[in-house]
Amino acid sequence: MSDQTIDRTRLPIRRPPFQGVVKRTLDGSEPDWNSIAPTPAPEGAPNVLLVLTDDAGFGNPSGFGGPISTPTFDRLREGGLTYNRFHTTALCSPTRAALLTGRNHHAVGFGMVGEFAGPFPGYSANLPKDCMPFVKTLQGNGYATACFGKWHLTPDNMQGPSGPFDRWPNAVGFDHFWGFLGGESGQFDPMIIENNAATGVPEEEGFYLPDAMADKTIEWIHGVRAHGSEKPWFAYFSTGCSHAPHHVPPEWSDKYKGKFDQGWDRLREETFERQKQGGVVPADAELTPRSESMSAWDSLDENHKRLYARQMEVYAGYCENADWNIGRVIDAIDEMGELENTLVIYIWGDNGASMEGSLTGTFNELTMINGVPLTEEQQLQLVLKWGGLEAWGGEMMGPHYSAAWAWAGNCPFQWGKQVASHLGGTRDPMIVHWPKRIAEQGGLRSQFTHVIDVGPTILEAVGVPEPTHIDGVEQEPMHGTSFVYSLDDEAAAERHTQQYFEILGNRAMYKDGWWLAWMMPRIPWNLDPETLARFAPGVWDPEDDPVELYYLPDDFTQAKNVADQHPDKVEELKKLFWEEAERYDVFPLLGGLTGFYGMRPPIPKESTFTYYGDVQNVAPGMIPRIYNHSYTITADLEIPAGGAEGVIVAEADHLGGFSLFVQDGKLRHTYSFLGVMEFRQESDTPLPTGSVNVRMEFAADAPKPATGGEVTLFVDDEPVGGGRMEHTVPARFSGYAGMDIGRDNGAPVDRNYADKSPFAFTGTVKKVVFDVSPHLTDEHEEELDDHTQHALAAHAINA
Amino acid sequence: MSDSQKDVLIAAYLFEDLAKKDFDAVLQLAENKTITVEGVVLVQKDETGEVNVTETGDHLGRKGVKLGGGVGLVAGLFAPPLLAATAVGAAAGGLMGKFAKHRLESGIGEKMDAALPAGSGGVIAVYDSDGAAAVDKALVNAVKKSVAHIDGGSAKELKAGLAEAQAGMGG
Repeated sequence: MSDQTIDRTRLPIRRPPFQGVVKRTLDGSEPDWNSIAPTPAPEGAPNVLLVLTDDAGFGNPSGFGGPISTPTFDRLREGGLTYNRFHTTALCSPTRAALLTGRNHHAVGFGMVGEFAGPFPGYSANLPKDCMPFVKTLQGNGYATACFGKWHLTPDNMQGPSGPFDRWPNAVGFDHFWGFLGGESGQFDPMIIENNAATGVPEEEGFYLPDAMADKTIEWIHGVRAHGSEKPWFAYFSTGCSHAPHHVPPEWSDKYKGKFDQGWDRLREETFERQKQGGVVPADAELTPRSESMSAWDSLDENHKRLYARQMEVYAGYCENADWNIGRVIDAIDEMGELENTLVIYIWGDNGASMEGSLTGTFNELTMINGVPLTEEQQLQLVLKWGGLEAWGGEMMGPHYSAAWAWAGNCPFQWGKQVASHLGGTRDPMIVHWPKRIAEQGGLRSQFTHVIDVGPTILEAVGVPEPTHIDGVEQEPMHGTSFVYSLDDEAAAERHTQQYFEILGNRAMYKDGWWLAWMMPRIPWNLDPETLARFAPGVWDPEDDPVELYYLPDDFTQAKNVADQHPDKVEELKKLFWEEAERYDVFPLLGGLTGFYGMRPPIPKESTFTYYGDVQNVAPGMIPRIYNHSYTITADLEIPAGGAEGVIVAEADHLGGFSLFVQDGKLRHTYSFLGVMEFRQESDTPLPTGSVNVRMEFAADAPKPATGGEVTLFVDDEPVGGGRMEHTVPARFSGYAGMDIGRDNGAPVDRNYADKSPFAFTGTVKKVVFDVSPHLTDEHEEELDDHTQHALAAHAINA
Repeated sequence: MSDSQKDVLIAAYLFEDLAKKDFDAVLQLAENKTITVEGVVLVQKDETGEVNVTETGDHLGRKGVKLGGGVGLVAGLFAPPLLAATAVGAAAGGLMGKFAKHRLESGIGEKMDAALPAGSGGVIAVYDSDGAAAVDKALVNAVKKSVAHIDGGSAKELKAGLAEAQAGMGG
C-alpha cells in the first residue's frame, strides 16, 4: 500500500483491497503481503516530541531573559525557531484540551478544568467524540504514541477502576500513558497511573517524579525503536512542573540561594533588560507596572523577604530540574541519531505563572483550596512548624509561592494564570526545533500563534490530513491554523488573525494586531463570598466591565491602553467577541462557576461505602464524602495471636487526611486539618486478638462547613477512647494523594509512623465501611452541598 | 529575684540572627531600665539539629558576663547541665553551653528542640509584667510568641510559667 493509495481522511483506515490471487489451494494462489502490513506513516515522517510545562511564565527561562537556567530550552532555541507571540488559554485543562484537539477549549467542553464537570456544553469536561485529539490521527496513521506526566482531561469522578475510560489517555489516541490524571501531583509521592490502572505511589528511595518521567519517556522511545525500526513516534512530555506543590530536591534549589534577595520588583526590571537585549521583547517596549494589589518588595519586613526569596529559589530549582530532564530526553533522541528528523515543540507554560498562592504564598496549597484563610503570621508559624525555610520545597510541605513572584515571572506583562484578558495569563514562550526541515537556526518568529495551532501544524508537518471521520464519528474541523508557513519565512504575513480568549469571565478579543482586554474585575486569588456576590446572576453585567485596548505591533507588553482613542475599534472587537463566544460555546459566561451560584448537581443518595480487601489508591476526588458530616468508619479485622499493627484505612497525608490505625497494640485515629492542626485519639486498652470489629465515630457539632465534633473509638461496640476535633477539612484533603485500605501509601498521615511507611497492617483487614451519617435533614444536606460545590469550584479554579 | 508579677515569654524565630536582634533589643530595654528582667536566654538550633544556648543576659542588660542573679536561675531552669558547664565558662568569661542531649529538669529544652527547625532560634525571657508592652514591641521578628504570667520568681513558679508558656506554643 503506497502513500498515494491510502485514504487517510477516515480513521481507522480501512483494510486495503486484497491484491493477490486466492485459489482453492495454495496451488496458483498469489500472496499479497501488503494486506497484513500495518498502516505506514507517510514516507520520511518525523518523530514528534511535544513538551509542555505547567504554570510557567514568559519571563522565567534564561532564553527569554529570565533568572532560571534552562540550558535545554536555550539549546533548542539556538538550533531552532523562537516564537515570542504564542498564546495559551490562561488555564491548565483548557489549554491541554485546545492543544490536543486543535480546537477552542469551550468547543470541546473545557471552558473550565477537569475537576469540574459542569452542566453546559462549554463546561462539560468531557471531550466530545467529534473533536478527537490529533494524536488519534497520528496513531491511526502509523505512529507510536505516548503521553508522560500530567493529563488533566479526565473528569474527577471517573478516575477509578470502574471507569468509564473513554476520556482516559489510552482512549483518545495514546498507545501508552504514564503519569497522573489530575491537575497536580506531589513530586515525591505521586499516585501514578499507567494506562488504565493506578500503580500507586512509587516506594523507591529518593523517587522524584520529573526524573522518573524522563526515564520512562526514554525507555519508551528505546522500546519503540527496538521493535519498529522505521516507525515514527509521537511523545507528549507534559511535566507537572511548575504547578504546585513546588517540590524539588535541595541540590536544585540550593543553586539559587541568594539569587532572589533583590526581590520581585528588581528581578522584573533585570529580566526586562535581558529580554530586550536578547531580542524576545522589542527594544522600544515598556515594562508594565506592578498592580497595587501586590506589595512593593521594599515594604516587606526581614522575615518575609527571606521567606519569599526562599519561595522563588525553590521554584527556580524546580523549573531548572524540569528543563534538565527534558534535556535528558533530547540527548537520548540525539544519541539514537534521530534528533535531525524529530520535530520538537517546547512550550514553556500551559498558562502564565500562577498567582494562586495569594500574596503570602502558602506552605500548603490545599489551605487555599479549602478556603482556610491564613494570615502572614500564621504562614510563618506553619513554616516554622514544618521544618523552617529549608523544608520549603521538601516533602513536609505542599508549597506555592507568592503571587508577586508569578507576576515577576510573567515579565513584562500584567497579571498571570486565569487572567485570559491579558498577556500575563496567555502568552508563553515556544520553541520549534526540527533540523531536517528548518534551515534557519536561532531565528525569531513573531506571527500570532495560539495553542490550537499546534495540532494542525503537526499534522501538516508529518504529512497527514485532518480526518473527516474517526471511528465513524464525523469530526468537527480543527479551529487552529498551521504555522508551518512561518518555518521558512520570518516575514510571512500571519495567518491566525483573530482569536477570542475567555477564562472565568476574563475575556479578550484579538484581531489583526488589536487586543481588546475585558477583565472581570476580580483579583485572581480572591474567591471570598463578597467578591463572588458581585458576579452573581442578575447582579453582574459583563458589558459594564472596564475595557482596555492595545495595539500590539506598537505595544508588545500591553503598556498603553488606547481604548479612549479608538472607541470604534473597541465596539468592533466587543461585537466580534460576542459572536465568537456564541460560536464556540463560551456561553453562559461563568459556566464553570455554577457551584458558586446555586446550580448544583443532584445530591448523591449513596451514604454507605464498603471496601473489601486491600483496595488502594482511591483517587482523592472519589473518596467517601465525609466532609462536613457526622460519619463512621467501621472495620472488621483479624488480629493474630501476639497482636497486630499498621494502618486500617488512611487518606492522603500529614498536610490533610485521616488515618485509623493500630500501633503499640492500641486503636488510634489521627486527623490532620491541612497541616494546620492535628487531632489524635487512642484507645485506653490494647486490642484483643481474633475477629475484632473497630469503629471510629465522628459526631459533628452541626452540619456546617469545617465543623468540629467529637470522636469516639469503639472496639467490639464498647467505647474505648476518643476526643475532640476542633475543625475538619471542608472540601478536600489533597489534590493528588489517594485513600488506601490496609496501609498508608505515600507520605503518612501521622508522622509518628513515618519510619514504618506504608505501615501495612500485619493482621487482616476484611472489610471497611464508611457510613456518611444519614441523619441530616434535606435542608442541611442542601446547605452542605452548596458549600461543597463552592469548594470544588474553588479547587477547580486553582487546579 | 523580686516577688512582683512576672511574665515568662518564649519566642520562636525562623532565623537565628533575627532572634539575636530581638534578644539584643530586650536587653537594651533592661539596660535602659525600661523593663526589669530576671533573665534572658538566646537559643539556637544549628544546621545539625543541635540546640545551644548562645547568649544570656541579666537584669542589668549585660550579656554573658556571669551567672548572677536571675539569669543563672533562668538559664538553669532550661539546662541544669549548662549550669555546670557555664560555671566553668563564666570563669573564663563566657557563657556558652549546650543542652540538647540532656533531659532537662523543666522539659523546656526538649520542647524547644521539637519546636525549632534547624537554623532557627528562640528567645526566652523572664521580666516584670509591667514591661510586657515594651517587650512585645521589641520582639519584632518573632514568628511565634507565648507568654505565661506568674506571681513571684521562685524556681517552682518559673518552672510552672515556662511549662504554661511552652504549652501556648503548641498547635
